[in-house]
Amino acid sequence: MTSTIRQMTTKGTPYFFLLPGLVILGALLSVPLYKVVEYSLYDNVIVERNPTYVGLANYQTLLTDPGYWSAGLNTLLFTVGSVLGHMVVGIGLALLVNADIAPRARTFFRSMLVLPWIFTAVVVALNWQLLLNPFGLINYILQWMGLTTEPLDWLGDPNLAMWSLLLISTWRGYPFIMVSFLSGLQTVPRELYEAAEIDGAGFWSKFWHVTLPQLKPVIYGVALLDLIWTFQLFPLVWLSTGGGPGRATEVLSTLTFRLAFVDFQFSQAATVAVSILIISAAFTLLYLRNEARRL
Amino acid sequence: MSRIEIRNLVKMYGAHQALHGIDISIQPGEFCVLVGPSGCGKSTTLRMVAGLETISGGEVSIGDRVVNGLRPKERGIAMVFQNYALYPSKTVYNNMAFSLQLSRMPKPEIERRVREVAEILELTPLLDRKPGALSGGQRQRVAMGRAIVRDPKVFLFDEPLSNLDAKLRGQMRAEIKRLHQRLENTIIYVTHDQVEAMTLADRIVIMRDGRIEQQGTPDEIFHDPDTVFVAGFMGSPPMNLVDCMVTPDGLKLGDSEITCATPNGLRAGERVICGIRPDDIRPASDMTADMTADTAHSAPITVPINLIEQLGTEKLVHFSAGDHEMIGKTGGRVTMAEGAPHPMSFDMKHAYFFDPKSEKRIR
Repeated sequence: MTSTIRQMTTKGTPYFFLLPGLVILGALLSVPLYKVVEYSLYDNVIVERNPTYVGLANYQTLLTDPGYWSAGLNTLLFTVGSVLGHMVVGIGLALLVNADIAPRARTFFRSMLVLPWIFTAVVVALNWQLLLNPFGLINYILQWMGLTTEPLDWLGDPNLAMWSLLLISTWRGYPFIMVSFLSGLQTVPRELYEAAEIDGAGFWSKFWHVTLPQLKPVIYGVALLDLIWTFQLFPLVWLSTGGGPGRATEVLSTLTFRLAFVDFQFSQAATVAVSILIISAAFTLLYLRNEARRL
Repeated sequence: MSRIEIRNLVKMYGAHQALHGIDISIQPGEFCVLVGPSGCGKSTTLRMVAGLETISGGEVSIGDRVVNGLRPKERGIAMVFQNYALYPSKTVYNNMAFSLQLSRMPKPEIERRVREVAEILELTPLLDRKPGALSGGQRQRVAMGRAIVRDPKVFLFDEPLSNLDAKLRGQMRAEIKRLHQRLENTIIYVTHDQVEAMTLADRIVIMRDGRIEQQGTPDEIFHDPDTVFVAGFMGSPPMNLVDCMVTPDGLKLGDSEITCATPNGLRAGERVICGIRPDDIRPASDMTADMTADTAHSAPITVPINLIEQLGTEKLVHFSAGDHEMIGKTGGRVTMAEGAPHPMSFDMKHAYFFDPKSEKRIR
């Protein structure tokens, strides 16, 4: 009997120490998650004391709502465009700041190029609103160079707003990719480049045949992570365009916010949030599988 | 086959001078081994010939051309790296074919060349594998195949066997030697392993602190060293180098006197460094046919035996002579007791004498 109690105490000790962590995680993660899923199955939650259980009716409504599909398409465009932008700019700049130049200059450029990462979304959005304003610096430069005659309303024109948003998102998001690729580039053995050089490879051949294959695991992992983050990105979009003009830049995250805190349709908002959760979870599973394979 | 001329080669890293005017002339088809301890500048010299390091001063010519300003691919060289440097994402076939693909050679010709070289190196069954699925020896062969397939004027090898175990290293050494006999290309080979240098080279260049200490054939380097450094560097176990005093009849080594002829010009009372290889010190009872019985060249002295190392076919006999720890040799079947005094014969006709100040040979 005594030995059984001692065994239970010994076995239980690790779980006892895990308990605070499990409680905090449960409270901060599981409860809201459960509540959002629950809300999506009721009608008029929060605004009514006794909401009605409607089963999957909210999902049915959502799937027939053209606004949802339009936001979904915008989310897809924004996510794919942003991730591609981050990748191209990130890898290009990583190659530049990895170049064999004076150490001081290299440190200076590396520090400068990481700057967009340290600004908050509010600062970034406000700055770009000013830059892209019809009377802002970008229009002034374009007119001065003779590329446009009339100032363009970059964030107000439905045909330009998504492109402008992609520009802002690329600027804001490339530093993480650049830093990840830079650390990846530094692990590529120098001999591979030297061997390629002796084999007769130029810059692009070395890039295609040495750099890219060596960075492939980093590219895949970082792209998936960026995809997950960008897919549910809210502050930058909301503060830059507010989902507008009209619904031109409305993405699923801004649609959720609008439904909940502008239209007070919390059940519909929860339903959109669950749809975001399902897609994000799929990306996360892909990411985890990739990480497990790397290990 | 191309001649390589290295004239007054200098390498500066900021204020630090790594190479101090290297001069080497390598004949077409010659196998030249650069050997020396770590940091002596052998790899730097090789990389400057390859075009992977800039040349701070001097000139490198391959064939009739000065190649100082040429890029590596324009120099007509192929290089085998210490860590193989195979492209991990490419198959063995594509690793070997890469340089030919870049030069836009027709596919059938690439295929013919790669398969021919793969056949020579017994790589044919491995052509579809990636480097990660190969053993160290196989990777090394692929690295050599990649170099051979280009049919270069000059092969450069940068410590290619240092990552292999002792047995495989021996096999690959023989393979490289056979390849050289077959292809007859000019080769510069860098190693810190003096056995590799001795077995492979037509010419050995011994380097130390960015300077050439001595160059010559393996026989010249081993049997006719110019300096204390060369004498001590080549040979395993190394040559015994002991500080002695010249006497009217020979040398005083600790308390013992060895009767021997000393070079002309040395006077009694002068100090000298005497070098004698372990093969030339044997127990007095174990004289080999190679050693002379002439007492003028073979003076036995009785010394305490400290340690005996059994190597199989022979034994290394560690003993003390004065303050010096020395090594001699005897047959693997000879019985000797550790700790007991034993008469050892020194074959002094194979001894070398060096000036203690300049460390140069006194002939």
